[in-house]
Amino acid sequence: MTTTTTPAPLTLAPRPLSTRVAIVVRLLFANPWTAIYTPLLILGIVFLMNMAIWGIVRASIPPEGEMAPSFNGGVLFLFIYMLVVAVQSVNQAFPLALGYGSTRRDFVLGFGVFALILSLGYSVLLVAGSLLERATGGWGIGHSFFTTDELWRTEWWEGFTLSMIAFLLFFSIGAATASVYVRWKTLGMYAFWGGLVFLGIGGAALVTLLGAWGQVGAFFVWAGVLGSAAWSLILTALCWLAAWAILRRATPSQG
Amino acid sequence: MLQHTCFIKESQRYPDDFKPKHVFAVAPGFFPHWDADFAHELAAEFRLPVDRRIKKLSRGQLSSVGIIVGLAARAPITIFDEPYLGLDAIARQAFYDRLLADYAAHPRTVILSTHLIDEVADLLEHALVIDNGRILIDSPVDALRSQAATIAGPAEAVEQAVTGLEVIHRERLGGFISATVTGDTEAAVRRARAAGLEVGPVSLQQLIIRQTGGTPTEHEEVTR
Repeated sequence: MTTTTTPAPLTLAPRPLSTRVAIVVRLLFANPWTAIYTPLLILGIVFLMNMAIWGIVRASIPPEGEMAPSFNGGVLFLFIYMLVVAVQSVNQAFPLALGYGSTRRDFVLGFGVFALILSLGYSVLLVAGSLLERATGGWGIGHSFFTTDELWRTEWWEGFTLSMIAFLLFFSIGAATASVYVRWKTLGMYAFWGGLVFLGIGGAALVTLLGAWGQVGAFFVWAGVLGSAAWSLILTALCWLAAWAILRRATPSQG
Repeated sequence: MLQHTCFIKESQRYPDDFKPKHVFAVAPGFFPHWDADFAHELAAEFRLPVDRRIKKLSRGQLSSVGIIVGLAARAPITIFDEPYLGLDAIARQAFYDRLLADYAAHPRTVILSTHLIDEVADLLEHALVIDNGRILIDSPVDALRSQAATIAGPAEAVEQAVTGLEVIHRERLGGFISATVTGDTEAAVRRARAAGLEVGPVSLQQLIIRQTGGTPTEHEEVTR
């Protein structure tokens, strides 16, 4: 606080883009419970319950008995959770950011950084969990929670890349969907989901008519898990572009 | 321009998981001139529970979140769009007092839209009256005031004093009359005073009601 009697004129220096984007990131992280603490808490609880159940099952079979390694989807909720985080962030933080002087571009870029940080953080967490799990022989009881897929058993960076790509895809889908809602509200949602169903059924019908299901399957086999995931980057990019194009002309909701 | 603007609107939406403390925590990023001590002081004065979810706040408490941000932001351009919905008279007066005091200490442009004209009349420097998208009045408040006066006293003397002026309103009570006149009121006011008549200012609200012909309008007031 200054103690001068003559009021200092307010400075009007323009602020660099990086500063303005950082503000949006900070806004999105303002309540860390939403995007960090709560999902970590859920992950911890799911992990402990999973371990307990595995322990019970393990104890009830004879020691010489073998248990087949099974696919465990315990960590997959994180991806859906992040989709919801994306939807809520765009839907609820956008009106506040705009009210407080952010531009639409600041917001979209800030949200992108927010999504990147979270994707990176959770991917590192999943890979670290997986590595730890293997190092400890499945937490000492042969349990696999983080190592959900054969892919995770090969190279750590493959699992990491897959996780990154998947998180980014879920974030972008969430952002694009929420931006449709922010701009066109309920009517936009009807049109959007209706259109999506139409496209899905139409696509399936087209493939069936052309008798091309074999080729579709062959594509995924050819691309492999990581390759297929890499192809999803196109969808991710399209979703980002759509979110930007839609939010550019969007007006925050009243009330 | 946008980065120097703070827009406080009556219907501002906040993220559902936010508490007022989150709003005050991010505000300094948006507003470089943010005064955190001032914000805390205001929160105490408005008795705002900063650790309660925004969704659970009352209408008035929600309004005070906006008012606190608008004042503590010290943005070069601050726009208050009917910021006091649900606030009681005491809190509104506190807002006006704080606004005036802080404006004096940190001059900036404040645009305030309101329906409670007389409450803010003393704060304003410049008034814009917008009716149905058209600007009806765009004038400094002082000039607006000097254009009109109320002259009251015995009917005969008043009528004599206001001759040649446009009388936009007459109120009769027995042998007494109270006339509101517009135009070049200076001479008439002098004459009336000399005749021992009562001369009073016209409230801004009255003036606007008269000038707009009494139709319901949306008023926009500007103070600088």
